[in-house]
Amino acid sequence: MNLLKKIFFIDFIKGLSLTFKYNVSRTITMRYPDEEKWLPYQRFRGLHTLNRDSQGRELCVACELCAKVCPTQCITVIPMEDVGTDLKSVPRGISDRIAKVYEINLVRCLFCGFCEDACPTTAIRMGRDYELACFTLDCAIADKKKLLTPRDIPAEFEGGFVVKAKFIRNDEGIKVKPDLSKKKRWW
Amino acid sequence: MGNEFVGDKPRRYITQNSELITIFIMATVKINGKEITVEDGTLILDAARQAGFEIPTFCYQARLSRLGSCRMCLVEIAGQKKLQPSCVTPVLHGMEIFTQNETVKTARASMLEFLLANHPLDCPTCDKGGECELQDLTFKYGPRQSPFAERKRRFHEKDEILSPVIVKNHNRCIHCERCVRICDEAVGAKALGGIGRGAMLKETSFLNKELDCDHCGNCIEVCPVGSFMSLPYRYKSRPWDLVETDTVCPFCATGCQLTIGTRNGSVLRVRSKIETGINKETLCARGRFGYDFIQSEKRLTKPMAKKNGRLTECSWEEAISQAKNKLSSAKKIAGIASARLTNEELYLFQKLMRNVFRTNNIDSGSRWTDKRTTDALINACNLSEGGTSIFEALKADLIFIIGSSISDENPITDYLIRTTAADKRKNLILAYPRRIKLDSSATISLKHTPGSEDIVISGILNALQNQAVKTDGSQVSESDIATIAQRMKTASTISIFLGTDSLRFANGKEMLLGIANLAKALKASGKNIKVMPLLDRCNQRGAWDMGVHPSFLPGYKKTNSDGMDCTGILEASSKGEMDAIYIIGEDIVSMYPDAKFAKEALSKAGFIIVQDMFLTETAKMADIVLPGASYAEKEGTWTNQEGRLQRLRRALQPIKAAREDLSILSSIGGFEYKSARDVFEEIRKEAPGYQDISFDSLNNTGVLVKGHGAEKQGSRGQGVKGSSETKINPSNPRTLEPSNPYLDDYPFLLITGNHLFHSGRLSQKADVLKRLLPESFVEISDKDAAALGIKEGDRVIVKGKHHEAVLRVRVKQGSLKGTAFIPENFEDVPVNCFFKKGEGIPRVKISKQ
Ligand code: SF4
Ligand code: SF4
Ligand code: SF4
Ligand code: SF4
Ligand code: SF4
Ligand code: FES
Repeated sequence: MNLLKKIFFIDFIKGLSLTFKYNVSRTITMRYPDEEKWLPYQRFRGLHTLNRDSQGRELCVACELCAKVCPTQCITVIPMEDVGTDLKSVPRGISDRIAKVYEINLVRCLFCGFCEDACPTTAIRMGRDYELACFTLDCAIADKKKLLTPRDIPAEFEGGFVVKAKFIRNDEGIKVKPDLSKKKRWW
Repeated sequence: MGNEFVGDKPRRYITQNSELITIFIMATVKINGKEITVEDGTLILDAARQAGFEIPTFCYQARLSRLGSCRMCLVEIAGQKKLQPSCVTPVLHGMEIFTQNETVKTARASMLEFLLANHPLDCPTCDKGGECELQDLTFKYGPRQSPFAERKRRFHEKDEILSPVIVKNHNRCIHCERCVRICDEAVGAKALGGIGRGAMLKETSFLNKELDCDHCGNCIEVCPVGSFMSLPYRYKSRPWDLVETDTVCPFCATGCQLTIGTRNGSVLRVRSKIETGINKETLCARGRFGYDFIQSEKRLTKPMAKKNGRLTECSWEEAISQAKNKLSSAKKIAGIASARLTNEELYLFQKLMRNVFRTNNIDSGSRWTDKRTTDALINACNLSEGGTSIFEALKADLIFIIGSSISDENPITDYLIRTTAADKRKNLILAYPRRIKLDSSATISLKHTPGSEDIVISGILNALQNQAVKTDGSQVSESDIATIAQRMKTASTISIFLGTDSLRFANGKEMLLGIANLAKALKASGKNIKVMPLLDRCNQRGAWDMGVHPSFLPGYKKTNSDGMDCTGILEASSKGEMDAIYIIGEDIVSMYPDAKFAKEALSKAGFIIVQDMFLTETAKMADIVLPGASYAEKEGTWTNQEGRLQRLRRALQPIKAAREDLSILSSIGGFEYKSARDVFEEIRKEAPGYQDISFDSLNNTGVLVKGHGAEKQGSRGQGVKGSSETKINPSNPRTLEPSNPYLDDYPFLLITGNHLFHSGRLSQKADVLKRLLPESFVEISDKDAAALGIKEGDRVIVKGKHHEAVLRVRVKQGSLKGTAFIPENFEDVPVNCFFKKGEGIPRVKISKQ
């Protein structure tokens, strides 16, 4: 039996068959960042977003609770009174107290998500962007404008799979833009 | 009773035989099992706190009257079915009290639940969040949940703006009425009250209209929740972001403790702390809201030197070396320093002038005319004998205030006196021509002709000595004088408060001599007398203590040869005799009572160095301008009017290239002091009254300066020599006989002083204060207004012999006929233009525009 196995290279064939099987099965290498990208689950804690309500008003009332709770003190909020609100125009925020300055120092942030928990208006949420590399330290400060800009991956979008993506490199840094309609199973 | 001790507080009983007996009783009570003996009549709350048990409160505040409305302080008393509010219930001997058992705890939680039932709990947008008593107590004692599902009470959606400094959210009010009581009992403005009933009660202004009050913001400070809020601080920060620095108010010599809150190097607010300083949480508008001058755009940030007739920016080295050269090469020089500088700076200033530049020509302040008058004030108030606590002074049976618009000049002293005078056994006697807020608390208020204070005083003195009283020329009735003398006779302790009018009026010296004599006479009859000055500049007393005076060295030691006072300096300068004048922080052109003379005099000076925060009228005439620092930017000490030494602490670095005045003085003099502490060590050696005080141990209460031990007689300047005579001659030549005011050419006597919202010209740079009162005004009595057919708010022409101005009228009910008042603070209405040197109180004519 042992001799037969040896003559016909049985173990060798067994081994090779596994190799050949993988040779023809679906590839599992994620071509990140050039062609594909992993979309995290909704519970993922990536770059923060500041949100608006259905009427487009800023939800943040600049209460500074996020800044207070932050263990690395990387959030700076300076409130102000939104004096421009009259009855005719749509006010900027849900209250007349809004943030004059809202900044997160991403170099210090440890993505614990405490800010999200502390926020009384669900204004701040951890988003799903994780490509945070950039060329200067300045761009590691996420300001209010950046945080309020809608993201590629909306909060309702379910995650946990790979999608087709495009790799973009420019002066600001690198970015991998996902195409949410081209969903691919990973594995 | 069984257990009687001797206490401090007398209890008077009438026995069956109608005898009055006085006994002192102590009561022993058991609190949570711990026995404690307190004076009978102590509140359970105080007894429990003494015993070390905490009881939460909302409506109780030690300085306010008792209300007992919030029921947070409920305690259980053995044998009583219902819980009792400990803030209004006194102890009884043998009581057994529980402050932390289950019943009490449940009651507290329920009280909080009731309060929260109608509370919006919009903490995220509430400026009080983080320092809110309701938040704190809810976290500590609260129910943590509420079954209340009904709609909450809601008065409004948007906060109401009640004044340029106050914004109100009625939804958050918990009806503790602290605001109403502080406004009533301490401030005396009576601007607030409740509208509505029950849950719909609204603590607000009359008819809920915009407040026309003192804008002191004390309602904001005492409000435990975010109902009263400060408008300048609205939505600026959270309390935990602020770096707070305890320091002293720069706007008057009351010397209130305040706390500056800064964030990232900008001043965001000033607040006061409960039970801290002599002001005990109260401040006035200028102290609380006048902070924005510190970072005003108009601050000087770079040294300037005159080149080709124009001030141009230059380097510090250049400016200092030029100043040094000019001062050392000049033959005749003089220096005038503001009484707003710190003791250390003033000390160094006089050292520089005396030891380096060899002159005694130094003075502090320029609003007054005559050094002999200041000498007389120093003598009348015994300033060289150390400080007197105002609280000691207020214990007196009789308080006599003369020559001060105290409610405007020293608002917190006014609050303290008002609170004390609520005790009806006290006599409060006020003598001031205009009607002021404190008049409503006074037993007698005299309205005398401005400048006739000496007649009033000598009248009282004569009445005390049972001599004939003559009050001609003062418009005061002889019977009033007799009553005052009578009250003085029956009082055993008397405190006299002396205002700065004595330094403003031409007859000030006579008035001050009179006061000295009155005090002497009263003392001779066995009474306990205290004489305290009421000063308008925060460190005026310190300036004199430090020897910034032509005839005193630090500690009131006599100089070998007297120098010139401010008037003397200007006179010499007008003759072209002054080669160089060094002026720090004093705007002589705007403040000296004869603007034209001051300006002309300075224009003839050889060289002028001005060190100031702003480009004042005087600074514009300077050859060199050095940018100095504000009170928030320096370390040092101030001595307030009581003689209380208090510590300033630095909250910020001097703005841009401005420097601390101490370091500028050091560079000019080549001194090597590293800090204010070093200079203070030297002051301790030079001024004996400061000897025992250590710079570092100065806390929020400050320390009363001790006597300087300077020899009493002969050291006080010539003007006082005559003070050994007990009588003064009331028949001075009077230009102020009450003639028919409406027939004269210039029927009104013009008096000036600080407005409640302002202090000199400094507060003019504070935009918030400017918003409270945008323009100057002339105030006349209702009788004059009626006679002239003028209404409040009309525009009138105020015409004096040397100047005229168009102003709005304010009508004051109860002021003396024939007096007009214009605040000295407004840049666009320089009242000192109405004055002419040597003419005394100016007279003006008022007519409709
Ligand atoms: S993000 Fe939320 S927690 Fe942070 S300041 Fe705004 S409202 Fe407050
Ligand atoms: S008053 Fe206090 S409890 Fe009420 S909303 Fe403001 S911070 Fe919150
Ligand atoms: S600001 Fe002062 S005077 Fe005005 S309502 Fe408040 S406490 Fe009264
Ligand atoms: S406004 Fe503030 S201080 Fe006044 S009653 Fe209401 S809670 Fe009390
Ligand atoms: S100006 Fe005078 S009374 Fe007012 S806060 Fe300052 S020290 Fe106190
Ligand atoms: S503190 Fe006692 S009832 Fe309010």
